[in-house]
Amino acid sequence: MAVATQTSGSLLPQGVGRITRTWRLFFLGMILIAGFGLYAYLREVSSGMIVTNMRDTGTMGGAPWGLYVVMVEYFIGVSFAGIVIAAVSRVFRIRELQPISRIAELLTVGSLMVGLLAVLIDLGHPIRGVVNMLLYARPQSPFFGTFMLVAMGVLPASLVYLYLGARQDAAVVAEQPSRLQRLHRLWAAGYSDTEAERLRHRKVMFWLSVGIVPLIVVALSTEGLVFGIQVGRPGWFGSLQGPDFLVLAAASGLANLLVLTAIVRRLLGNTDRIGPSVFKWLGRFLLVAAAAALYFMIVELITLMYATPEHERLLADELIRGSYAWIFWVSIALMAAGLVLLLVQAGTRRWQIGPLVLASVLISTAALAERYLTVIPSQTHATLLPYEPGSYFPNWIEFAVVAGLFALGALLIGLFIKAFPILPLTDDEEVIADA
Amino acid sequence: MAKYSMVVDLDLCQGCRACTEACKIENNTGSGIFWMHVFRFEEGEYPETKMSFLPRPCQHCDNAPCVKVCPVGARFKREDGLVLTDFDRCIGCRYCELACPYGVNYFTWQSPEKSHYQDVVDWEDDDLALVTGGLVPPYKNPDLDLKYGEEQRYTAGGNHAKGVIEKCTFCVQRVEKGMNPACVETCPVNALIFGDTDSPDSPISHYLRVRQPWRLLEEAGTHPRVMYVGGKPPNPSLKEIERPKAEV
Repeated sequence: MAVATQTSGSLLPQGVGRITRTWRLFFLGMILIAGFGLYAYLREVSSGMIVTNMRDTGTMGGAPWGLYVVMVEYFIGVSFAGIVIAAVSRVFRIRELQPISRIAELLTVGSLMVGLLAVLIDLGHPIRGVVNMLLYARPQSPFFGTFMLVAMGVLPASLVYLYLGARQDAAVVAEQPSRLQRLHRLWAAGYSDTEAERLRHRKVMFWLSVGIVPLIVVALSTEGLVFGIQVGRPGWFGSLQGPDFLVLAAASGLANLLVLTAIVRRLLGNTDRIGPSVFKWLGRFLLVAAAAALYFMIVELITLMYATPEHERLLADELIRGSYAWIFWVSIALMAAGLVLLLVQAGTRRWQIGPLVLASVLISTAALAERYLTVIPSQTHATLLPYEPGSYFPNWIEFAVVAGLFALGALLIGLFIKAFPILPLTDDEEVIADA
Repeated sequence: MAKYSMVVDLDLCQGCRACTEACKIENNTGSGIFWMHVFRFEEGEYPETKMSFLPRPCQHCDNAPCVKVCPVGARFKREDGLVLTDFDRCIGCRYCELACPYGVNYFTWQSPEKSHYQDVVDWEDDDLALVTGGLVPPYKNPDLDLKYGEEQRYTAGGNHAKGVIEKCTFCVQRVEKGMNPACVETCPVNALIFGDTDSPDSPISHYLRVRQPWRLLEEAGTHPRVMYVGGKPPNPSLKEIERPKAEV
């Protein structure tokens, strides 16, 4: 059972409602970073996107899609693993992973929200963007999947999933008098924990688990299609963009989930609820995903090296030997290093949290670099007409906005952890049997 | 219904870029923005070099990739062949810009008041005032503010709003008055021919009966309505020279 903490006359588990000095500092730090990001974005709104380093392709030799789109791809990708792990652990009754199902769901919801925000930040007219995508949506455009399918499908489904999965626990904590009791009662929404209600609840969760995975696979595949269907841009066109996106999404998502799980474990005083078996499972999943991601990266490298079309070859030269080479080789090296760390642990059958976290950080950084290489070089160095090669590197405005997005995501997760038990209070292993 | 096309005769083009200037004046485009760009190419090694030119307006493709990817239908194809942008509907995602293999789209990175060469030219200079008559940009062609076509959409307003995409409109505001686009009207050697290819009596149809046209990046399957005669398609051995200053 979870750790219970006495706070101002109330008994809430897992440190919920207890704001320590460290937490205050964390919240303040995140608010400051998010505030600085907001300041940078407001400059962008008032002066136009001229304040970024993005520019047009062709005669301007720039990249109209810059760091923001890279982060959209990254954040939406990270969301993939969380909800899939939560759903898979329910459907296949992987008991070891059930304690982290809420962490996984929270990671998905947080990264989806931040990813969607990054989409809006990248628009020339964000408000008009939301309105017009509702009024004039064209599902034929992959952008529809990037935004509408994620905003109107995956995010609400993930929120419902998080909400329903935690409703039983909300009813438990709502019985404890605290400052958060009203919120917990609202969340429980009259849940009475009768046998019939429990059964109905579990059935809904089971079918939601079954349904949410194909939904997120379809939505996230369109992220890859945004690039894959562009016949006029060397380096992008290809049927592998969709699967490649999903594989890298799985690797980066699992890596982030593993790091977040380690942080939560530490916050809860190295609780036994998140034991070595959790990390063993996550490590195994990450090993498979990272191996697949590295496989895709190597296949891509070989294809580029042997590419016959002139423009593809020129792009390959730029990636392998040109101005993007350092990012390209660093991303492969980081992914390979992360994979080796995981392989060593798999070989010795000793899954240790420290090396797992290190491997996760390496793999997540490699995935981010890979997203950068997918988005940027094809804009600056792959024009079919003989324009001069261009260049792009984000400036402080873009870095500040992105740092703000990370801080916002961290703030969201931090607030949740302080408002609600991050680990399920009850095990959920009877789900399948009942369903 | 007329079907508009443009023919570019590369045997006549002398790379003077008068079309580029005419376009900028007619459509009030900002600094670094060239709806009509003329490539100046150099081929070979000195002294065995050869220059060639390639005017590049929007190709107004029949199978336009920019139209396909627009998430809100702001980029659309008209019955008469023009590919236009509804500036009132565009959300500024720049997806059309990346879908286009010709690089003809430009995003308005800042407000038009700031992008009309304000920082590179001293418009108050006395010598300059003799030429401009004391007028200070941004100049504004009032025709760009009107709605056009059966759809009655804002399709001509180049550079009138921050945060949207713009490109060559074939000067829709002139075409609807029965006039030629500004670039065609200005070309000193008649290298640009514009008209209705569905009408067998139009000058462009006569031209196409005599000369065999080719299209830019035909392999992309975009079916451009801009056709070229003479010269040859660009290839990676061509080196672009005298690139216009294209910074905003």
